[in-house]
Amino acid sequence: MDIKLTDDQAQLQEIASKFMDKHCSFDFVRKMEKESDLGFCRDMWRQFAEMGWLGIMVPEKHDGMGMSLLDTVVLIRELGRHICPSPFLFTSVLAADVIAQVGSPEQQAELLPQIVAGEKIYAFAYQEYSRFFRPEHIKLEAKKSGDKYVLNGSKLFVEFADGADTLLVAARTGEANSQDGLTLLLVDRNSAGISTKHMPTMSRDRHYQVDFSNVEVPGSALLGELDKGWEALEPSLHKAVIAFCAYTNGAGFEMHGYATQYARERVQFGRPIGQMQTIQGYLAQMIMELYGADMLTMFSAFQIDKGRHARGYVAKAKAFSADTVGHVMDVSSQIFGGMGYMEEQDTTLYLRRGKQYQLALGGTEYWEDVIAEEIIDREPVVLT
Amino acid sequence: MDFDWSPEEIAFREEVREFIRTEMTDAVKGSIFIDTPARVEFVTKMARRGWLGMGFPEQYGGSPNPFPLAQFILNAELDRSGAPIIGKNVGTIASTIYHVASEEMKMEFLPMIFRNEGQWAITYTEPNAGTDLGSLQCRAIDMGDHFEVTGMKHYITSAHFCRWHWMALRTDPDAPKHKGISIFIVDHDTPGLSLSPMSTIGREGTTHRTNQVFFDKMKIPRSRLVGEVNKGFYYMMEALDYERFAILSFASRVRRYTKIVNWYKNADFNGERPINDPYTRRALARMAARVEVGTMLERMAICKAQYEVPAVEAAMNKAWGATIGDEFAQLALDLMGPFGGLWGGEHSPFGGGLADEHLMAGHARVAAGGVDTSKAIIARRLLGLPNALGKPELPQR
Ligand SMILES: Cc1cc2nc3c(=O)[nH]c(=O)nc-3n(C[C@H](O)[C@H](O)[C@H](O)COP(=O)(O)OP(=O)(O)OC[C@H]3O[C@@H](n4cnc5c(N)ncnc54)[C@H](O)[C@@H]3O)c2cc1C
Repeated sequence: MDIKLTDDQAQLQEIASKFMDKHCSFDFVRKMEKESDLGFCRDMWRQFAEMGWLGIMVPEKHDGMGMSLLDTVVLIRELGRHICPSPFLFTSVLAADVIAQVGSPEQQAELLPQIVAGEKIYAFAYQEYSRFFRPEHIKLEAKKSGDKYVLNGSKLFVEFADGADTLLVAARTGEANSQDGLTLLLVDRNSAGISTKHMPTMSRDRHYQVDFSNVEVPGSALLGELDKGWEALEPSLHKAVIAFCAYTNGAGFEMHGYATQYARERVQFGRPIGQMQTIQGYLAQMIMELYGADMLTMFSAFQIDKGRHARGYVAKAKAFSADTVGHVMDVSSQIFGGMGYMEEQDTTLYLRRGKQYQLALGGTEYWEDVIAEEIIDREPVVLT
Repeated sequence: MDFDWSPEEIAFREEVREFIRTEMTDAVKGSIFIDTPARVEFVTKMARRGWLGMGFPEQYGGSPNPFPLAQFILNAELDRSGAPIIGKNVGTIASTIYHVASEEMKMEFLPMIFRNEGQWAITYTEPNAGTDLGSLQCRAIDMGDHFEVTGMKHYITSAHFCRWHWMALRTDPDAPKHKGISIFIVDHDTPGLSLSPMSTIGREGTTHRTNQVFFDKMKIPRSRLVGEVNKGFYYMMEALDYERFAILSFASRVRRYTKIVNWYKNADFNGERPINDPYTRRALARMAARVEVGTMLERMAICKAQYEVPAVEAAMNKAWGATIGDEFAQLALDLMGPFGGLWGGEHSPFGGGLADEHLMAGHARVAAGGVDTSKAIIARRLLGLPNALGKPELPQR
């Protein structure tokens, strides 16, 4: 057992870190928040493609790099450090992986190289009007009519829906209120009957409500098997969740670094506030949580890469990383005193994202339910 | 990055498990704070396999280290099954002797420790020197060929059955407080040394007994001074880095967690099944994640230990482990409703064992460099923040 990064991983990390330092400044993030229609930058997306990142998990035979989830975690943690706004997670992790796992040979041959080349961007249309993230709660209906499907319903929190080319939609085709009876469809974003509404968030990012009104999609939009959407989606979703944890852990580490730096410099009562034990206690507690979340995330990625049953680990990683990022953004901001809440202060970019990250992709309660299913309802998992 | 154990690590773990299966009896199980003939015998059997001296040179009775993580695997398996772990004798005492003591002292004591002959007490704490060990007052006056000691220590575990004391005493009252302490090895039978028992709130046979130790003109031969005079504080601090890590393997916490989950799954109070209650399910789930984080921080510490003393990681291990131990004991009792308060008897889950654990759980947050002290170490050594107890250190511009 050895948890040092491999040379390749260390190199990837360094390249990513340098790229982000150069191209993803606070000014850039603010510009994406305020001025950009899309909320991300197409130029940067092209650069991601040139570096091969967009195909990091895509098999080599489809032009990708065929790297592991653990490698991807190393990369995306650097994006997270810089809270880089991009559709990377849902395009290059989630969509690329579902297509690679359950797509037909034709779909793989056509769609994967497009992802690698940066030609197609995917958005994930899953969440509906539910506090949880359960497949049972999906109601958007896809009715088969001839060799087409007709979609009616609403999706919420679809990130980058306006900039995307394709929506990865989880739709109800069978039994209601069940994990079964869901189907995955790849829907052209420009199909007639689709309309979007921006959902304003604390992060000032680009989340949308996407309404489907008699949207007709061809039979070829079917990804995987009819009514088996959840089985197809869940393993890839776990990978995306772990990648998201890496992203939020990265953001947490960065914010913690700013707070630590400030604690060394800000003087009150004749000494740096970082010399006061209460402040030290906060910072020490948070760094432990961050290390824990980070290790748990990498450990889960490792288990997934080995093809092992990792649902419990993923759930623990997500529940813990979520709580950690929420806590770290909140308490680190307090270390900045009043300045921590001023619009001009750059750390507020992190504060505005912390809670939202915590609640995204299934909040803590949802994942705690998954942990409970794994440790209570399945055979006792021997914690190793 | 490889989170899996290697084949040789797995083979060694199997060997340890097999040993535990054969040698472990109920009499061996128990707390790390007490020792019984059965526990001593069990450790001696490990000593015969060379497991106590792993990584120390053979001339001192050591044995080759099969691979860097062997000692950790051994301790984790022992801890998992409630057996005595390779704790302070090797982690604190033998390590320090090996690094700082004279050749003569090494030859005298190291083989003895590795054969598990003679038990040890760590004799540091005084009424006015607990967390702040540097301010200990009990004097050892230099009389030339010996030192003379009058004073007392308290909370000294194992003193009532030990053969030797690993003792910190003040040798220079005029030097700055951290620079006037020395370590001695003291024979428990030395004239002038006496004991008085102290009881903890744990039950008899668990963590019940500890001791006050008194010295009246006790003479310590000069040859029993460890390393250099007045360097004792630094020896203690370095050893604590090892001890935080060695004594607090996370495995026993995982074992307790698994035990409570099994109880929870089967619990049935006149038809009311806890497993159907979403609130406690989530509370257990939340704890599962926190326990898993403990195993992760431990992995981080042991992987680092392959290259250097994992001081910061050990402090994290200590702080997280003690915090989780305390939270877990609370949760376990909460899950049981009023039955959590039972200290034995018919309706008491685990015969009151978890109540015992709860009673002493807070102590782990305080002992051996507690949670707060560990956080101070993290703040200073990892985050580079100035010492909270020192003079103001203004930032350089
Ligand atoms: C069952 C048991 C067994 C023991 N075994 C041994 C043994 O074998 N040998 C031995 O030498 N000692 C032993 N001890 C003593 C133990 O190590 C001390 O109790 C411990 O070091 C704390 O010292 P104290 O009790 O004087 O508390 P204090 O040091 O007075 O601490 C009181 C409180 O203040 C906090 N505190 C102190 N300093 C700081 C700081 N800088 N920042 C923040 N908080 C602080 C502490 O965390 C604690 O909460 C044992 C104790 C017990 C209860």
